[in-house]
Amino acid sequence: MHLLSAFELRKRFENGELKAREIAEHFLARIDKHSKNLGSFLHVLDERALKKADELDLRKSKGEKLGLLAGIPIAIKDNMHIKGEITTCGSKFLTNYRAPFDASVCKFLEDQDAILIGKTNLDEFAMGSSNENSAFFPAKNPWNTECVPGGSSGGSAAAVSARLAPLATGSDTGGSIRQPASFCGIVGYKPTYGRVSRYGLVAFGSSLDQIGPFATCVEDIALIMEAIARPCAHDSTSISHPPESFLENLPTDLKGKRIGVPWKFLEEMDAKALEAFKANIEQLKALGAEIVDVDLSILKYSIAIYYILATAEASTNLARFDGIRYGVRSPNAKALEDIYDFSRDEGFGKEVKKRILLGTHVLSSGYKDAYYKKAQKVRTLIIERYNSIFKECDLISMPVSPFAAFKFGAITDPIQMYLQDIFTVSANLAGLPAISVPAGFDHNKMPVGLQFLAPQMKDKTVIDAAHAFEKSAKIPTMPEAFA
Amino acid sequence: MSEFNQENLNSLKKLARIKIPADEESEILSHMEKIVGYVNLLSEVDTDNVQIATHVSQNLNVLREDNIGELLPKETFLANAPDQIGGMIRTPPVLKEPE
Repeated sequence: MHLLSAFELRKRFENGELKAREIAEHFLARIDKHSKNLGSFLHVLDERALKKADELDLRKSKGEKLGLLAGIPIAIKDNMHIKGEITTCGSKFLTNYRAPFDASVCKFLEDQDAILIGKTNLDEFAMGSSNENSAFFPAKNPWNTECVPGGSSGGSAAAVSARLAPLATGSDTGGSIRQPASFCGIVGYKPTYGRVSRYGLVAFGSSLDQIGPFATCVEDIALIMEAIARPCAHDSTSISHPPESFLENLPTDLKGKRIGVPWKFLEEMDAKALEAFKANIEQLKALGAEIVDVDLSILKYSIAIYYILATAEASTNLARFDGIRYGVRSPNAKALEDIYDFSRDEGFGKEVKKRILLGTHVLSSGYKDAYYKKAQKVRTLIIERYNSIFKECDLISMPVSPFAAFKFGAITDPIQMYLQDIFTVSANLAGLPAISVPAGFDHNKMPVGLQFLAPQMKDKTVIDAAHAFEKSAKIPTMPEAFA
Repeated sequence: MSEFNQENLNSLKKLARIKIPADEESEILSHMEKIVGYVNLLSEVDTDNVQIATHVSQNLNVLREDNIGELLPKETFLANAPDQIGGMIRTPPVLKEPE
């Protein structure tokens, strides 16, 4: 049953071949069997999932109309609130935090009759590219458990890759959906900024954060997007665009599409990885796309911009974690001021502290113009460059990550770790929709993804292109050990 | 743009209200030196006459009626408070006890 796509599961539930209870029990059993080894889940919502499944079976037996995602188990990254459940954000600071309200995305999913099955592991406060920054334990890569699953949404990617859930949510601030999707050999989608409500997502970099889905195929991405891409009154950056049919007319070719490829910017890539990417581009040509050479050399500044803006926004967003109103308060605090200092020291991990300090630095008096404002100006130049390219191209294609998944502990230099995101952060800086779709394997037999980007609100264009590529590439997405 | 040093770190710890244990401090300092060194890369970009990107979204000033919406019940909110008394959050005293 776990080999079925979400789309197929729903169909079998609808036509009576499968009961929602059977589906929920099957995936809960898989989580029970594999999650300890994979570290993909922080909490399993068994009671909630079974209750929802029973309710669905009952409503179906009465002939009631059921939602778009009826009977599909979905894993939720543990930085999104489900009312009444714990949201840890992968941090010791929030081990006791019980969400008093639903994130809009979780509400939309439950309104469409999805079965929320568990909360997935992540780098603390979504800060990381390897899941090694989770305060609890790292999630592992189902293709090789000695390797990282990517980050920060590594738990969600590992869970979907190992078929512990057919769908999962992630959040992407600089590549945190697309890079783990690429590392784990599945599809990961970052919608246009504002397309999916951020209400109830614990904020990291508010001008960059975007919630999106993980799935084993593009059709499932289209399916879940129909449920979650909708306006939300609780998020002032939510785009007031009515729900769109992403499933309609998913194409199998790219005829008439002009796809930009930033060849010069890719020159410094590892030669083997570049060869593999070139083969992917040949395939796009074979599907009817016209490939255009575009200049994105400005992206060499994207990591520097990102680590100024994302940390600046994080330092203000994380100021709310003061140990006063919620979270874990240091038992050693004897006076009010101690609460802040001790709780933040004891509650935050090293990477989070580092980013808060860095964000405070780039915003502090005497440095703000040189760092924060400068980065915002270069961000404008990147946005303008993309706008100008999209006057001539429908899409841009590039790799997701310079390398496939690496071993735990292999990268200790902060800059090397941050450079993992070199091909992904610019979509966040410009608010663009971008997808990672399985494109092959490297010499260690680890998965590699291909990325498509399009102008804001052209989410359907991105999903369509990924679908056409996926149907012709036919890359296996199932790690043998979990079949 | 400039280099990053111990003095910067000491001041940031106060501004960000974060204590750092001694065994973490040298690694954090060395990483921050590297990162600040790296982001200095931006100084080579000519940004004269470039506006700052204050937002990426195309929809601006989304307004709504100023109505009272859902409110979080006090009990629900306080359920997450580390310490409470009489429907209010309790903290240790603002002033330290004289030693």
